[in-house]
Amino acid sequence: MAKSGYQNRIELVQGTLDMLVLKTLQWGDQHGYGISQAIRASSNEVLQVETGSLYPALHRLERAGWVSAEWKKSDANQRAKFYRITALGKKQLANDYERWGKMVATIEAIMSAKERAL
Amino acid sequence: MSLFDGRKRELRDEIEGHLRMATADRVAAGATPEDARREAMREFGNVPLVADVTRERWGWGWLESLVQDVRFALRQLWKTPGFTVTAILTLALGIGANTAIFTLVHEVLLKNLPVANPKTLVRLGDHEDCCYLNEVSSSRADSYSIFPYETYKNLRDHTEEFEQLAATQGGLADLTARRASGDAASHSSFGRFVSGNYFATFEVKSYAGRTLTPADDADGAEPVAMLSYRAWQRDYAGDPSVVGSSFYVNTHPVTIVGITPPGFYGDRMTDTPPDLYLPISEEPTLGFYGVRNSPDVGWLFLIGRVKPGVAQEALQEKVSVLLRQSLAQLKGFQTVRGQKLLAKAHVVLTPGGGGIASMQHNTASSLYLLLGLAGLVLLIACANIANLVLARGLARRSEVSIRMALGAARARVMRQMIVESVVLACLGGMAGVMLAYAGTKLLMEVMFTHGSEMPVSALPSLPVLGFAFAVSVLTGLIFGVAPAWMGSREQPANAMRGTNRSTRDKPSLLQRSLVVLQAALSVVLLIGAGLLGKSLDRMQHQNLGLVTNNRVIVDVSPSKAGYKPERLEGLYQQIEDKFHALPGVEHAGLTLYTPLSGSNWNWYVYVQGQPAPMPGKEVTTSFDRASPEYFKAIGQRLIRGRTFTSADTATSPRVAVVNEAFVKKLFKPGEDPIGQHFGANDIKNAGDFEIVGVVEDTRYQSARDLPDPMYFSPMLQQSPSRSTKDLDASLYAGQIVLQMKATTPGLEAQVRKTLASVDPNLSVDHYQMFTEQIEANLTGERMIAHLTLLFGLLALVLAAVGLYGVTAYGVQRQKQEIGIRMALGSTRGGVVGMVLRGAMLQTLAGLIVGIPVAGLCVRYIKSFQSQLYEVANMDASVIAAVVGTLVVAACLAGLVPARRAASVDPARALRAE
Repeated sequence: MAKSGYQNRIELVQGTLDMLVLKTLQWGDQHGYGISQAIRASSNEVLQVETGSLYPALHRLERAGWVSAEWKKSDANQRAKFYRITALGKKQLANDYERWGKMVATIEAIMSAKERAL
Repeated sequence: MSLFDGRKRELRDEIEGHLRMATADRVAAGATPEDARREAMREFGNVPLVADVTRERWGWGWLESLVQDVRFALRQLWKTPGFTVTAILTLALGIGANTAIFTLVHEVLLKNLPVANPKTLVRLGDHEDCCYLNEVSSSRADSYSIFPYETYKNLRDHTEEFEQLAATQGGLADLTARRASGDAASHSSFGRFVSGNYFATFEVKSYAGRTLTPADDADGAEPVAMLSYRAWQRDYAGDPSVVGSSFYVNTHPVTIVGITPPGFYGDRMTDTPPDLYLPISEEPTLGFYGVRNSPDVGWLFLIGRVKPGVAQEALQEKVSVLLRQSLAQLKGFQTVRGQKLLAKAHVVLTPGGGGIASMQHNTASSLYLLLGLAGLVLLIACANIANLVLARGLARRSEVSIRMALGAARARVMRQMIVESVVLACLGGMAGVMLAYAGTKLLMEVMFTHGSEMPVSALPSLPVLGFAFAVSVLTGLIFGVAPAWMGSREQPANAMRGTNRSTRDKPSLLQRSLVVLQAALSVVLLIGAGLLGKSLDRMQHQNLGLVTNNRVIVDVSPSKAGYKPERLEGLYQQIEDKFHALPGVEHAGLTLYTPLSGSNWNWYVYVQGQPAPMPGKEVTTSFDRASPEYFKAIGQRLIRGRTFTSADTATSPRVAVVNEAFVKKLFKPGEDPIGQHFGANDIKNAGDFEIVGVVEDTRYQSARDLPDPMYFSPMLQQSPSRSTKDLDASLYAGQIVLQMKATTPGLEAQVRKTLASVDPNLSVDHYQMFTEQIEANLTGERMIAHLTLLFGLLALVLAAVGLYGVTAYGVQRQKQEIGIRMALGSTRGGVVGMVLRGAMLQTLAGLIVGIPVAGLCVRYIKSFQSQLYEVANMDASVIAAVVGTLVVAACLAGLVPARRAASVDPARALRAE
């Protein structure tokens, strides 16, 4: 499974991890493992978030004040650190998403441009 | 304990939670618990690395690892106390010396007066020539800095740009103060005449009573004065009833109206701050010269507080115009020559926050020279410690190798080593700051005559601590970077292989270069010390034209004792007679001032029959007075003609004795000066004095400069052109000279008794041997020479220790090689020779580098400081002495390890693997 799975996955585009994490947290508070599972599930197993990127990102977002954290019992009745998106984080998400949209549109425009007469 | 223990545990829990959940999900999907755990771990990746990277996001990672490094460094240093103590002591000396000198630089050169808003103070003038200058004849480069009272009033009353413009006496008034009631003895005090708005200008409030006001400075005002806090504590133990009480100052009644605040030391940094502040209106009564009403004598420095937004250039121009207006009133500026001079007269405005900056200007070059010397010593100390650290680093090679083999990054290993060096330097710096406290006090004692009176605190202030810290860190970097770089180049596999019999273990090129550098720097310091010592010696033992032994100088002040000029003749006669009667006195003379006493009178002179000199080409000569026995008493030989006799009285024909320089300057070669006439101050007076004798040249003004042209008058003869209503202060004898037949014990008490028997009001202001007076002129030179020698010797010891260390280290490392050599037939002498040769080579290299560098340094020092008196740039005897000293030191440093090398037992050395 691992091998074929890897081939289907794509690397995260630089700078999009924050946006994905914040988006995931909009659906509700979540712990680190939950976030990584959620991203994988909602991308149909295509996007794999490396823990080596996820945890530093979460701590960075916490320091920036875009998420807050709280220790709570998980569904399996275990203590886990749950992250919650803050108002500031929501604003940041909107921002990131808008920028992302513009970027996709720009890149798409370049890629799909018809060959022009020189 | 770490800074983030709680947060770290939390992070560990968070990661552990992640792994548990991942495992649980896999178990739920059907995997065995072991497989699930392994798979979860594999997916997660390198747990410590993730934790590390995450922690970095907290933003304090650098601090945490720094704390780690510092703690590790302290542990390492603790493990090797011998090394640590040696290094800290060396550093403490180096950093301490620098900090002590910086304390003085900061306190003396960089600090402002302790008054409100020192930045808005402006000084009128750019030099501190003092203390009574003729405005016509003694302007320096036409830039005026010292002003008559009339000029001050004109400037003060016509410059609305100043909130206040204050005047302060250039010199000090030598006073005797006694409280009218309750003061048994009178106190010898220094006073300073200041304008009524002086304290208002500096915005200084009184500590008790009130400050002086412009009303006190008005003509006919009640005579008042302010007492300094220091004098109040010293002489009256802070007695509050002093305020408002009456005093006798030089026998005149004066009321003390207030006490100055404790921190206030007047308008300048000095080792003789005034005890009394008196309004200028009292100067005609209490001042020695009574110059307030002389419009041609400059004796006041001016300092003002400018209003905000005033343009300096415009103000400077306006002040210069006002100055020229004032000067134009003087007769001396009304001649053709005077007009030319007047056109060039101007005032330069300078920042006044530091007050009158004579102390700053006098000491700056010495202090910066000392700072440079101390810097050199510190550099040598750095080289020494770098070598120690290198040797230590090699001993720790296996530790470094293991750490690198375990995956420590090279940069991290290097950083750790540098941190260790900086920690060491900071420890040395702390010890250095303590040393600096004692060092500053010592320096002040040697640099200034009354060092303890200086308003300077030896306690380290914040800037001084900052300086010490910066120097420490810099020092640590200097001696730490090279060894750290060397150490971190280690190939992990190399050292872990264990001992190997290679020649690679000899002291590295870097180590040897450091020793060469040390030797070179100590050569520079020693050559400097040698040259300065030689220059001092030249100054002390040069032909001053005098035999100084068994001669006593007694300072007196007839004017303070209330004598009027008409009573002086009798007084002088009595003094001469009574001192002659003392047993053991060969000659007793009176004079205005003796050689190198610090006093000087200057006049322009004009020789009868010679054309008037071009403006600016006038001959300035020094002027002094001599009693009949003066020249014999002081030991100045007569060359031609005669000296004065008791027949040269106030009313007899006016005569003069001149020195050789005077003859050389004013007469053609071969021309006979005897019988010629000359006069002072104006060409009209050219017929005043007839030259009756020529005496040899003697240094009166400065120990280092050639004697000025000089002329002497009898004690009581005055120029006929002098208006009689002015007091001629030069009539008052300043010093008595006694030439003794032999060293006389208890002479001082006899002298005091004798003077008191002449007149009880006549006190001995100062009593000293002539040699002491001359040596007092050279305190600065002596201090610099001695400190340089001290630094030089310190550097030599450090260099020798460094050479010893490197040689001993080499012997230790080469034991096996030496063993093999001896086994193969090398003699003990051969081994000693081999080791010594190595040491000598480094010393030679040091000499080859050091001597030319010293030459450059000497040339540089000569360019800004006249410290080197009559000494060539490179003195062969000094260089020979330095080379000899260094070679001897190197022999000693090399011999000990060489003998140890020779005592290596070949069999044992070969066995020891």
